[in-house]
Amino acid sequence: MAKGRDRSRNSKDGTLDMTPMIDIVFQLIIFFIVTLTITKEVNPEIELADAPAAPEVDFADTTLTVEVSKRGHISIHGAQLSRAKLRIVAQRRYNIYGEYPVVIRADYRARHKAVREVMDTVSEIGLWKISFVAIKEKKT
Amino acid sequence: MKSKKRKNRNREDPALEMTPMIDVVFQLLIFFIVTLKTQDLLAQLDVQRPAPDPSSVESQVDDLLTLLIYDPATQGGGEGVAMNGVKMSMDRLDTKLGRVTKFSNTMSVVIKCTGASQQGTLVKVLNLCSKYEMKNLSVFSM
Repeated sequence: MAKGRDRSRNSKDGTLDMTPMIDIVFQLIIFFIVTLTITKEVNPEIELADAPAAPEVDFADTTLTVEVSKRGHISIHGAQLSRAKLRIVAQRRYNIYGEYPVVIRADYRARHKAVREVMDTVSEIGLWKISFVAIKEKKT
Repeated sequence: MKSKKRKNRNREDPALEMTPMIDVVFQLLIFFIVTLKTQDLLAQLDVQRPAPDPSSVESQVDDLLTLLIYDPATQGGGEGVAMNGVKMSMDRLDTKLGRVTKFSNTMSVVIKCTGASQQGTLVKVLNLCSKYEMKNLSVFSM
């Protein structure tokens, strides 16, 4: 009986409790923000060397960023891949965009052997615009 | 009569419960503040890939500076850099490059890297070349 009265009061007042809806909306916003960050994430283990005298980065939209970890693992957007896979990815991109710049984001402790693998792979396809990324200015 | 009563009740109780919303907004604020990462300003070091046979480049270009990047732990100490065959510290290389570029900064620079050399050393050298506005840089892997 009391329930019935409550319901009839709600419908008569015309009020709707917005709180749960707002809660869900904000939960959704948090979910989307978190997942967006994950997809854009680069390999967080990579520590770049300092290059204060070098010019600031100015990457084109088509730029391919290849990461090289301190252990020599090659990855793109944090996803590790072999040299053969890198070649396939770079070749497919080449088929779509034509010549595009390649940026190597290598850890300062990485051996040149691993960096060379990346350079050789992209050069085999015909990509000659190669750049290294370093830290110009550290933000604390 | 009934509608008057309803109107009166609405006037008496017009408040919307704001507390949960404010709670959530503060949660969001805290989340963003905690996860906020200030991104470092990045630099770009452009390099060229050398010709397949580096000796052919050396024979063609007169104004050529050769830098060697090696692993100091296994290849004779120092800071892992040598200029025209002479091992030197980064400070010394800085001074040398400063002197050399006083006359010309259009010279070709070939940076030879051994497989065991570290990326950090290469970036330091490229940074120095960038400091003296040396543009024609080739990285050759040994």
